[in-house]
Amino acid sequence: MNSITTWARTKSPWVIHFNSGACNGCDIEVIALLTPRFDVERFGIKLAPSPRHADVLLTTGVVTTQCAQRLKKIYDQMPEPKFVIAIGACACSGGVFKGNYSVEGGVDKIIPVNMYIPGCPPKPEAIIDGVVKLLNSLKEA
Amino acid sequence: MFSDNIQIKRNFLGKATIILESKSIKDAIVKLIKKDNNLGISAITGIDLDKTIGLLYHLRTSEGIITLKTEVQKNKPVISSITDIIPGANFHEREAADLFGVIFKDHPNLKRLVLPESWPKDLYPLRKDANLADISTKCNAISYKTDESPSQKGNLVNIIVGPQHPALLEPEKFSLKVDGEIVKYVEPRIGYVHRGVEKAAEKKTYLQDVFLVERICGICNSCHAIAFVASVEKILGTQVPDRGKYIRTIILELNRLHSHLLLLGHAGLEIGYEALFQYLWRDREPIMDLTEMLTGNRVIASSITIGGVRRDIKENHIPLIKKQMAHLQERMIFYKNLFENEPSIKLRTKNVGVLSAKEAIKLSVVGPVARASGVPIDVRKDDPYSAYEEIPFKLVTRKDGDSYSRLMVRLDELIESAKIIDYAVDNLPNGPYRIKVPRIVVVGEALTRVEAPRGALLYYVKSNGSAYPERVKVRTPTFSNIPAFQKTAIGGNIADVPANFVSLDPCFSCTDR
Repeated sequence: MNSITTWARTKSPWVIHFNSGACNGCDIEVIALLTPRFDVERFGIKLAPSPRHADVLLTTGVVTTQCAQRLKKIYDQMPEPKFVIAIGACACSGGVFKGNYSVEGGVDKIIPVNMYIPGCPPKPEAIIDGVVKLLNSLKEA
Repeated sequence: MFSDNIQIKRNFLGKATIILESKSIKDAIVKLIKKDNNLGISAITGIDLDKTIGLLYHLRTSEGIITLKTEVQKNKPVISSITDIIPGANFHEREAADLFGVIFKDHPNLKRLVLPESWPKDLYPLRKDANLADISTKCNAISYKTDESPSQKGNLVNIIVGPQHPALLEPEKFSLKVDGEIVKYVEPRIGYVHRGVEKAAEKKTYLQDVFLVERICGICNSCHAIAFVASVEKILGTQVPDRGKYIRTIILELNRLHSHLLLLGHAGLEIGYEALFQYLWRDREPIMDLTEMLTGNRVIASSITIGGVRRDIKENHIPLIKKQMAHLQERMIFYKNLFENEPSIKLRTKNVGVLSAKEAIKLSVVGPVARASGVPIDVRKDDPYSAYEEIPFKLVTRKDGDSYSRLMVRLDELIESAKIIDYAVDNLPNGPYRIKVPRIVVVGEALTRVEAPRGALLYYVKSNGSAYPERVKVRTPTFSNIPAFQKTAIGGNIADVPANFVSLDPCFSCTDR
C-alpha cells in the first residue's frame, strides 16, 4: 500500500504557484515550464487551481508584510503531505530586497521550505532539476 | 521661491519647470488645460526637504513634460486635490498620501493604496525621519478588518478576486460589485508586492541601484535600467558612445518582443484559447535565447549600465539575430491572420472594454492602451532616447479602443520591433560600447521617460553630490493604466472582465514597487 501511494505521489505532483512579492522574473520562468519547450507535464506535474488540490507549493519572491498572512493561509489550506519549493534568490533569502521596510524576508521565515532553488531568476532547467530531486527524495524516503 | 537646502546646478525636468505656491497649483493646471486639450498627469513626486515636503507635478502636454514644483509644510501637509479636473491623478495622490502623508483636500477616496492595512498611522516611510526599525513586528501587532467575505447589499453582490487566484499571476485584489451579470463597481487594492524599492534605492550607490531597479519588474527589466541610467547620465552630462546606444536599443526591443509575446499568450489563456498560449510561448523561446546570448541571462538582462552597456555584440551573433528576426516576422504574419480570422478571439474581445480617445486622455492612459484608442503617443517618437532618433519605425495606432484593438496594436508593434532590431544590427556603429563615468554624481535632478512594453515609464532621480541618490521616484505604466480598467469594466459583463483586464497588460510588481 505504501509503495502505491509513493508511486502515485511521485508520478503526479500537482503544484500551486504563489507569488508573495516577486518581480515576475521567476514567475515567467515557472510559466515557461508549462509551455512546449520545457513541458513539465512529462513528469506528471500539473498546475492545480486551488491550494486544496495541490501537493507542492511553488513560491516565488520575497515575502512582503501584506502577503505574509496569505502565504501562511495558503500553506495551511494544502492537504498533507505537502512540500514547499522556494524559487529564486528572493524566496530563498530575501535577495536584493532584504531589509526593506515592507519586507519580511525569505519564505522560510513564514513556512517550512523543503527545497531551495537559487538564481535570479533560476533557469527553467534548474527548476526542473529541483523538482525532480524533490521527487527522488520522496521515493527514497 | 522654492527654498532648497541644496543648490540645484543642473535641471532636466522636461520642457519647463514652474515654481508655484501650493495653493495656486490647481489654478495653474486649470489654465494649462484650457491651453492644451491633451494635457494629462504623468506623476506626482514627493521629496522630503527637511522642513517641508516638495511636490512635483509632472504634466504630460503635447510638447513634452512640464513640471510644477511646490512645497507644503511638513507638520501640516495639506494641498487641494486635482482629481476633479484630471481623474487620472487619483492614484498618484493616494500614493503621495501613503508614502509622504500629504493630505489632498476633497479627494474622493483617500484610502491606503500601497502600504499594508496594518501599517501604523502617522508613519510615512519615504520621509527621511521615519523610524522604520522593527516595523514588521509593529505591523503584525495591529489587527485590522478586511472586506474579504462576499456580501450582498440589495441587488449588488460583492465578488472578491484575489490575492491568490488562478487567473492572476500576481497577488492583487479586486472587489467587483455586480448586479446580475453586469459590473457596477470595481475597486482594485494594490500593494501586495510593495517592496519599498524607492527607499532602498536611497541606501545603495548609483551602480548598485541599476541592479536594484531592474528587479522592480522581471518582464521589462531593461526599461527600468535604461530609465534610471539615462537620468543619472543626464545629471552627469555623459555622452554614451554610438555603439552603446545601438546595443541598448537592441536589448530594449528584445525586451518588448518577449513582453508582448508573453501578454498575447496570456490573453489567449484568459479568453479560453489555450492552444494560442502554447504556440505564442513556443515562439517566445528564441527571443529568450537571443537575450541570453547577448546578455548572459534569459530574463534579467543586467546589460545596461551607466555609460553604456556591459557586453558587446560579437560578429558571429549578427547572422543569428537576423535569422531569428526574419523567422519572427513570418510567424507574426501567421498570428495576424489568426487574430483577424478566428471567430473565438473576436467574439471574446471585440467591443469589450471600449475606451474612447477623449477618456484615454482624461485618465492619462499610456502606451499601447492609449494607442489602441487612437491617441498617438509613444515616447520613442515624442522624446527619443538611445538610438530611436536615428532608426525609422512606424507608430502603430488603432481607432476602436476595445480589447481587440489593444491586442492588435501589440501584434503590429512586434513586427515593428523586429524591424528595429534588424535595422540596428545592420547599422551597428563601430567604436567603444562603454565609457568610464565617475562614481560620485554631481548635484542635480533629472526626469526621464522611456517607452516600456506597457507604456511610458518615468524615473525621477535627485542627486545630492554623494555616492547615493537623494530620491528615486518610479512611475510605472500600469499605475497609469489601472484607472482605464476601472472605467471600462463598469457596465460590462462580468464574463468580459478577464479579457478586458488582460488587454491592459497589467504588471503589478511594477505598479507596487
